[in-house]
Amino acid sequence: MKKAARKIYLGLILVLLYAPIVTLIVLSFNQSKTRARWGGFTLQWYRSLFGNEQIMNAFYTTLIIALLSAFIATVIGTLACIGMQAMNRRVRGLFLSVANIPMVNPEIVTAVSLMLIFIALRIGLGFETILISHITFNIPYVILSVMPKLRQTQRSTYEAALDLGASPVYAFWRVVFPDIVPGVLSGFLLAFTMSLDDFVITHFTKGPGIDTLSTKIYAEVRKGIKPEIYALSTLLFVSVLLLLILVNYSPEPKEGAVKQTVTKAARIKVLVLRRILPAAMAVLLTAGGIYYGSKGNFTGADTVIVYNWGEYMDPAVLDLFEEETGIQVVYEEFETNESMYPKIKAGAIAYDVVCPSDYMIQRMIQEDLLSEINFDNIPNLKNIGETYLEKSQAFDEQNRYSVPYCWGTVGILYNKKLVDEPIDSWSVLWDEKYADSILMQDSVRDAFAVALCYLGYSLNSTDLDELTAARDLLMEQKPLVQAYVVDQVRDKMIGNEAALGVIYSGEAIYTQSSNPDLEYVIPKEGTNIWIDSWVIPKNAQHKENAEKFINFLCRPDIALMNFEYITYSTPNTAARELIEDEALKNSLVAFPTDEMLKNCTAFQYLGDEMDAVYLDFWNQVKSR
Amino acid sequence: MNRRQLLTGPYLFWSVSFILIPLVLIVYYGLTSAEGGFTLENLAKITTPENLKALGLSLLLAFICTVICLLLAYPLAMILSSSGVSRSSFIVLIFILPMWMNFLLRTLAWQTLLEKNGVINMLLSFLHLPELDIINTPYAIVLGMVYDFLPFMVLPIYNVLVKLDRDMVNAARDLGANGVQTFLQIILPQSIPGVISGITMVFVPAMTSFVISDLLGGGKILLIGNVIEQTFKQGNNWNLGSGLSLVLMIFVIASMGIVNKYDKDEAGGTF
Repeated sequence: MKKAARKIYLGLILVLLYAPIVTLIVLSFNQSKTRARWGGFTLQWYRSLFGNEQIMNAFYTTLIIALLSAFIATVIGTLACIGMQAMNRRVRGLFLSVANIPMVNPEIVTAVSLMLIFIALRIGLGFETILISHITFNIPYVILSVMPKLRQTQRSTYEAALDLGASPVYAFWRVVFPDIVPGVLSGFLLAFTMSLDDFVITHFTKGPGIDTLSTKIYAEVRKGIKPEIYALSTLLFVSVLLLLILVNYSPEPKEGAVKQTVTKAARIKVLVLRRILPAAMAVLLTAGGIYYGSKGNFTGADTVIVYNWGEYMDPAVLDLFEEETGIQVVYEEFETNESMYPKIKAGAIAYDVVCPSDYMIQRMIQEDLLSEINFDNIPNLKNIGETYLEKSQAFDEQNRYSVPYCWGTVGILYNKKLVDEPIDSWSVLWDEKYADSILMQDSVRDAFAVALCYLGYSLNSTDLDELTAARDLLMEQKPLVQAYVVDQVRDKMIGNEAALGVIYSGEAIYTQSSNPDLEYVIPKEGTNIWIDSWVIPKNAQHKENAEKFINFLCRPDIALMNFEYITYSTPNTAARELIEDEALKNSLVAFPTDEMLKNCTAFQYLGDEMDAVYLDFWNQVKSR
Repeated sequence: MNRRQLLTGPYLFWSVSFILIPLVLIVYYGLTSAEGGFTLENLAKITTPENLKALGLSLLLAFICTVICLLLAYPLAMILSSSGVSRSSFIVLIFILPMWMNFLLRTLAWQTLLEKNGVINMLLSFLHLPELDIINTPYAIVLGMVYDFLPFMVLPIYNVLVKLDRDMVNAARDLGANGVQTFLQIILPQSIPGVISGITMVFVPAMTSFVISDLLGGGKILLIGNVIEQTFKQGNNWNLGSGLSLVLMIFVIASMGIVNKYDKDEAGGTF
């Protein structure tokens, strides 16, 4: 009876722990690229995974950092525990509270403070800085695992060993250490796991050209997780599981007298299962690491360091560029303008070419972070439509600093099956009929732009009365909103989770192709028109390469490749002419008419103080 | 004995360079304005209604999450620790194994499971059961936190229980104590260090997390972690962000101080 209850309890917990894992494994076989739809069974992601150097490199970096940092942290942490045990209570208490600091501190604070220290000490951000940071946050986990074990050890046994003539070191190794081994091991395992899983701290302390799985995934969240990531996670999970089963469930060699009777065959079986197979797996892993590591080696070559939005360029374009020019591309991704900005501002990494949005470019120009582009080196600029250069003047007055890359609008995506009236106004987002079916943008400026436009004010308003009105309107809307999201509007709309969503036009084209019931509209009150453009930071080390890179991207065939890959509208008119699909070429979502855009405005940088006001108001909306 | 204290040397060096000095930087930022002058304004910002609400909600959710984790983990650790030694390492690994799938991915998977048209609701409607509508609510956040942090409660308690002196338990039973008495007077008191570690390891991350509330709370529920993250990332205001972090740290340290009062550390060390 009691045994059955235990089994049921264990079973329930296992279901809780493994439901998401099973989901992820299932997704790795999903033919459809979005997590919201089942598109049939496929193995293609497993095949393409091994060809994807970026993911494999990130995977090996993650493993190496996890192993090294866990090992070093375990050594330092265990030594510290033993030492602390010999201290008096007060000093030990002090030590333990210091150990707790990285756990007590919000991750982001630890991350920023570590970044500041590295910059202050002039340690270039890269592999070493990630490693140091991981060791730092791993040590407390080791101490927390080892300390309770150490407290439980019996002082009397240790003293008995001393009385019997053992030296303190010997007594420690023979009596105390075996007792704390489980704590040390679980500390190592915890540290390894924490390092494997960390995102925030890695994000702030990593340098260009180096990624861990977490940072790779986070950059991808915006445009949907690549199914290869699911495949990799599944492989990793299954191999660890197999290893565990092998080690634990292979026949145990019997003790004592029985040992002699164990047959040779059984002994070989044990040897194979418990030693050779795990060793083979380790060799395979190491070989893979060396293989992918050697491919990712770019030191010494002529390089260009690119910093772009996640999933914002066809990887084949990078290969072509490297092939044609012989310049190595070091490619880095960011997920918001705001996370990109401090990295440029801090100057910790000298990026050569970056792709921020309009208002951020304006800010960077104002703060003298950008250098003027030499347009003699960019003859392909002629392919960029005149209108887009004119629009760019809102943030780059004389078109001296930026070259447009992608542009679009912010509008309403709605599901024709769930909404049967024609939609042309923001007012529908305040319609109680659609309570709990509305997805709003979870970013300050975008959300306020919706309310400000609806009220007929400028979306760059700095008038406190107007902003208060917009805030109140957003507060009024909050009970109707299903969720505030940035990245997941796409998946949620494809999965019919919501009827209406505020979304970027580029995402709309993709979602429509996965769910034909979806329709995109630019509200008549007007909206935000945004432009993402290439700029070159002041501290760029390879300015000419950066210009070559920008010129390459402006070539019609290349711009077309990118347009087809990311589905965001291209300002490259020559590329648009090359689009073969007539429907896409004339799509009003991808290429709205000037008439449709007449009420649309680009964001402007409003200054630090105004930004703080917006954020304050937004927090008030969110915490209502 | 002094030689043994030297073993803390590497740790001391490490924590001074990479914990304490960075912390000084945070304190410096938290107590100065953008122009560089001394100010308490950043700390005082915590008293605005929206920040107070976020702080209160974080405390509440972290508390609920810790209690649920403790209630789930203790029996679990007992079951695990009483099973045979050779298999227990395997079982323990089974509980860590999920953590080897990236945490962002696992939280996203909960979204797929919990959504209105998600997997769980498809199952429920197939069985003609009422729908589970907790996505984008605090319940989903607590579920996500419990899911993510449960192993941190199980492991330390398990580690202590597995070392528990079986003879003591048997002696208590021989002397006539019933199951409840044995548990309350022998097992529980001895497992307190593990419980304390577990509470620390669950409460602190639950208190400061922001990703889980973003992904499972639909961005509608603002926790103090979200406020700080936004201040740093969207507002780019390091002074205010550091100030709020300082306040949060004080809260967490105070809460842990209360917990630690119950941690009867045997004076003088155990060996």
